[in-house]
Amino acid sequence: MCGILGLFTLGVQPPAETFAAALERLKLRGPDDSGTWRDECVLLGHRRLAIVDLSATGRQPMESSDRRYVIVFNGEIYNHGELRPRLNPRGAWRGTSDTETLIEAYRAWGVDCLSHINGMFAFAIWDRIERTLFVARDRMGVKPLYYSDRNGSFGFGSRPGALSMLVGDGGLEINPEALRVYLELGYIPAPLSFHRDIHKLPAGHYLLANARGIRRVRYWDYRSIKPDLAMNSRPEGDLVEELDALIRDAVKARLMSDVPLGAFLSGGVDSALVVAAMKGAGVGHPKTFTIGFTEEAYNEGPAAAKAARYLGVDHIHETLDVNSLLDLLPAYIQEFDEPFADSSAFPTMAVARLARRHVTVALSGDGADELFGGYHYYPLIDRLAPMLGWRAGTRRSAGRLFNSLPWHRTKLLAGALQCSDVVGLFHFLRSVGKDYAPLVNPDVLQTTATSESWFAQFATGLAVDLSASENAMRLDAGLTLPDLFLQKVDIATMAYSLEARCPMTDYRLVEWSMRLPIQYKVRHGETKYLLKKVLSKYLPADCVYRPKMGFAVPLAQWLRGPLRAWAEELIHDDALMSRLPLDKARVRDLLRQQLEGDRESHPLLWSVLMLLCFVQNHAERRAMPVMAYREVA
Amino acid sequence: MTESPQNAPRVLFLFTEVFAHGGIQRFNQTILDAATRLGIHCRVLSLNDSTAPAASHPEHRNLSVVGFSGNRRRYALAVAAELLQGRYDRVLIGHVNFLLLAIAVLVLRPFSRAPTMLVAHGIEVWSGIGWARRYALSRVDRILCVSHYTRRRILEQAPALAPDRLVIFPNALASSWGRVATVPFARSLPAHFILSVTRLDRGDRYKGIATVIEAFGMLADDSMHYCIVGHGSDLPFLRLVAERCGVRDRVHFMHGISDSELIALYQKCAAFVLPSGKEGFGIVFLEAMFFGAPVIAAEEKGALDVVRDGETGLSVRFGDTVAIKGAIERIQSDGDLRERVRANGRSLVVEDGPFTFTGFTRRCAEVFEVGEAAAG
Repeated sequence: MCGILGLFTLGVQPPAETFAAALERLKLRGPDDSGTWRDECVLLGHRRLAIVDLSATGRQPMESSDRRYVIVFNGEIYNHGELRPRLNPRGAWRGTSDTETLIEAYRAWGVDCLSHINGMFAFAIWDRIERTLFVARDRMGVKPLYYSDRNGSFGFGSRPGALSMLVGDGGLEINPEALRVYLELGYIPAPLSFHRDIHKLPAGHYLLANARGIRRVRYWDYRSIKPDLAMNSRPEGDLVEELDALIRDAVKARLMSDVPLGAFLSGGVDSALVVAAMKGAGVGHPKTFTIGFTEEAYNEGPAAAKAARYLGVDHIHETLDVNSLLDLLPAYIQEFDEPFADSSAFPTMAVARLARRHVTVALSGDGADELFGGYHYYPLIDRLAPMLGWRAGTRRSAGRLFNSLPWHRTKLLAGALQCSDVVGLFHFLRSVGKDYAPLVNPDVLQTTATSESWFAQFATGLAVDLSASENAMRLDAGLTLPDLFLQKVDIATMAYSLEARCPMTDYRLVEWSMRLPIQYKVRHGETKYLLKKVLSKYLPADCVYRPKMGFAVPLAQWLRGPLRAWAEELIHDDALMSRLPLDKARVRDLLRQQLEGDRESHPLLWSVLMLLCFVQNHAERRAMPVMAYREVA
Repeated sequence: MTESPQNAPRVLFLFTEVFAHGGIQRFNQTILDAATRLGIHCRVLSLNDSTAPAASHPEHRNLSVVGFSGNRRRYALAVAAELLQGRYDRVLIGHVNFLLLAIAVLVLRPFSRAPTMLVAHGIEVWSGIGWARRYALSRVDRILCVSHYTRRRILEQAPALAPDRLVIFPNALASSWGRVATVPFARSLPAHFILSVTRLDRGDRYKGIATVIEAFGMLADDSMHYCIVGHGSDLPFLRLVAERCGVRDRVHFMHGISDSELIALYQKCAAFVLPSGKEGFGIVFLEAMFFGAPVIAAEEKGALDVVRDGETGLSVRFGDTVAIKGAIERIQSDGDLRERVRANGRSLVVEDGPFTFTGFTRRCAEVFEVGEAAAG
């Protein structure tokens, strides 16, 4: 893990101390070293977490062998060892870093280098002759990359907070569309960011910036890969072996490291598979890390310990009182440069903190749920989808009936009946803030698009003839995974200068999963069907076929208990509230309903609180977002 | 104008619509044109046409069209009445939605029923053939499938059907296209543009227009424009996509243009791009080919019969924006490829090509069992 930052401008460059201060903001991403490079129109900065080639030959910014190109790079190129002989058969290399391989790959193949590399990456390469900046993000969005094209300057960086210090020019406006989308989803999908003039580069895209402007290009589009129905006629055992081999290969590639390496082990299927593959790849006793809780309902510790015993690993376990996670709240608010409302970031940060005491790199099982059908709503969406074919009047009548019933599930069903297509249904099930609209200034609602329109846009490229759950999985893989889950893992591990690697996001595995027919993902309500078959090779059935737990925290209880005073103070802060286009009275009513137990509204309430925290925390910074909207009376 | 002989066959056509734009409508127009040229007495019951324009057809005396302006009850009664009178040598059911009605009526008169044929276009028969439709299909004498994909899908759902009853009966370029005079385009056209022609309703997102906009936004050539001919309820969404891709000022939505203007667009475009995922046949591909436009389509379903990658056009995976961008760039940059697919594409719709009106008329003569000489 590293942090990168840069600016291309034909105007006046910012002072060196401004650039240094912005780069300093990336220090946790790269505590081991720092470097800058500049010419008359480009500034490049790098913070290094040394993982591969710890010597000075791995330092960045790095020039190509012919000095034409200069690179800043965050990430790992796992196949760089395979590329080296192709790039330079005589083997004359300055060091052993993948950075050097990457810049020589660009020198040899140009933009097409992206089709040769396998890894997680966000990088920028400056061409001193063509005077063009090439900026790219990995296929699945494991590494973050933000950019800005404002007032004739093009900036990029690993964190929007650092970038805004470079291009903020005294303050950036909140993007009202991002605010709306955030309240609906609890995160902000690319290309939006919370700042109007900063954008997230979507996964699988690159940018070319020069004096003529910028051009954003997708270089990998897996959405449209069709399921290979011929796989249905192959023996299941063959598919199990093929998937197992792919996972082992993806994990083996991710063992490349010159520093200690371990893995997260939660007790679930995905991390256990990763650890099993590490063992298979010859890591004798990999270190594995688990956070357990004293409260049984949240405790995956025993399941992880049991899996660790079977797998024969060096298991390191920490048991916490779940309320002690609240100690992480300041770091959570500090490290997320945008509002982010997934509370599972707390335990993720806790396990990252634990792992960093022992290793610098940790493998994680993220990505498997989206690619192989792990979420409970995949079977559900298949059951609900036929209702989309009902006549509109029938759906309306049934919706009214279900809505009048007192149960939460029937009300959910009533909401699902209002959806017009599978994308709408998926969006409905995925939204954490289903009732967000009354909280927001009507001006914002009238002038911005909903998050569903982003889902719909992504869905236009999905293969035809997919089942409803296959559509949902691809939407999750393309939107939820990079901008919610992988972002969470990146930021939570970055906060402790730990590099997380996600073998399940290996593009070969992703493409294979797209070809895998649905019956091997979800079968008779069983999720991750084939993945569990693979894990059954390594663990007994009771370890494999246990209910999914996830990283849950008792948010509702927290808000009624230890966080109550904090929440009330935030929501009753008039000055703070007036910075946002929210209806104060309705937000306060939301809090009241939650505290008095009238209604469980904690997901949306938590989103609002994180939003307020973000604004409050950044209030004293130069890059404080300034809201251009009038206060709601 | 065609005079029909006294012993010419009489055919009842049950159509959804004839006098409108759209693939099925174009097919209906073409088959009526061919049938009347073959001297067949054509009686058409059209559900969605209004009575006024449908009442007569100036070119063909042996054609009578009755429209029902979308009134399903009146249409059903009229169909039943016509079928029960039994004055027809053949009945051609133009849409699978009319199949049950027609078969139910014909079953009432098993000894005097006319041979029946069904036209299977595309999406409406690719799925959802339940037991009732399977039974009805078993009572149809011939099923005219507009593409190989449609034929395969029907057989997959109704495997008991005798395969030889399903014949490939592709659409063809209408005879009228060769006679439309090109006129200068009334609006100003960009110098370089790619073109799509399609419906733009929300339910038509499978046409792939949003993916073309996305791919278009990634092109290095920022002098290129994108003209989209069509109209529908999804226009606001497509405009939003264009705005998000930063190409709002270079994407032009065109509506209400004449055939002669459309020809000008076909002739001048750098490429005709319609990477649709569910095209039953894709008559617009033939139109584009006839006027010399290089075609980019998706390697899906009915389009596979017309667009062969690298020969008669370029095929891309549906939804693959990287491939769509690559195909547009190849057509632009590779002159030999461009000329080859143009020439091969045009050869499909001229002279002895498989999708000419002459060939279509020949196929009509076979299925209606009349001599081609009648066509004059």
